[in-house]
Amino acid sequence: MASVTVRRDDGKSTEDIKWAAGEIEIVERASGPAAAAFIGAGLGVFFLGLFTTLNEASTGLHDWLIFDEGVGPLSGKTTVAVVLWLVSWAVLAVPLWKRNLSYGSIIAATGVLIAAGFIGTFPKFFELFAE
Amino acid sequence: MELSNRETWAALHGMVFGALFLLAFGGGFAGLWSLRPEWITANGLKERMLRLKVGVTSMAVIAWITVITGTWIVYPWYRATPPQGTTDFTEYPRSLLLATPGKEEWHSFGMEWKEHIAWASPILATAVAFIVLYYGTQLITDKKLRFLTMGLFVGAFAAAGIAGLLGAFITKAAPVL
Repeated sequence: MASVTVRRDDGKSTEDIKWAAGEIEIVERASGPAAAAFIGAGLGVFFLGLFTTLNEASTGLHDWLIFDEGVGPLSGKTTVAVVLWLVSWAVLAVPLWKRNLSYGSIIAATGVLIAAGFIGTFPKFFELFAE
Repeated sequence: MELSNRETWAALHGMVFGALFLLAFGGGFAGLWSLRPEWITANGLKERMLRLKVGVTSMAVIAWITVITGTWIVYPWYRATPPQGTTDFTEYPRSLLLATPGKEEWHSFGMEWKEHIAWASPILATAVAFIVLYYGTQLITDKKLRFLTMGLFVGAFAAAGIAGLLGAFITKAAPVL
C-alpha cells in the first residue's frame, strides 16, 4: 500500500490518495524461444550483409538477384534475406523451444551476427569485393 | 500547393511511416526501461505492459511498411535510367547525383548504405515485438531478457536512424519528383 499527500497552495486543505499495490502473475518461460528470436534476427541481418557483399563479388549472383527490373538486385537481396531470416527463426525455434540457454551465449551470437551484417551493408566494405 | 504522386509516396515513406517509427522509439524504449516493480504498482505495470505490447507491435508493422514502400514504390523512381540523350536529370535522382560534381557520394555511399541497412530495422523490431508479446510480464522480473530486448530495440532504431538521416539528406540533394 502506498499513499500520496496533496497540499494545496493556499494551505487550506489536504487530501490523501491511497491505492492498492495489486497483484501481478508472472509465468516464467524458458529462454529458448527468445534465443531463437534473437539469433534468428541476427542471422537475418547477417544474410542481408552477406548478400549485399556477394552481389558485388559475383556478376552471376547480381543478375540472379534482380527479381524486379525496376528495383534491381535490391529486390533479390532483401527478399532472400527476409526468407532466410524466417526459415532460420523457425528452424532454431523447434529444438530450442523448451530449452534454457544462458543469456551470455545468446548475446554473443546475436551481437556477432548483427555486427557482421551491418559491416556487410557498409559501402566502403562491400565495394572491396566489387568485380 | 500540391504534391505529385511520387512526392506523396516519398513523403509517406519518409515523413510519415519512417518518422513515426523513429518518434515512437523513445516511448517504446522508456516503456521497456520502466518495467521495474520497485518503481510502480502491479496495476501500473499491467497497464504499461498492454501499452508496450501494442506499441512495439505497431512499430514492427510500421517498420515493414516503411521499407516495403521505400524499396518497391519510391526506389524504382529514384534509380530509373533516363532515356538516351537526356540532359535534364531532374526526374532521375540517381543520375542527377552521379552527374553532379561533388554529389556522387550521396548515391555511391549514402543511398547504397541506406537501401540496405534500412532492412535490418523491421527484422530486429519484429524480434522485439515477439519477445514482448510472448514473454510479457516476465520482462518485469527477468532483467537480462529485458536489457537484451532493449539492445535489439536500439539496433532497430540505429538502422532506421541511419537510413532516415541519409534519406533526408539525399532527398535534399536530389528529390524524387
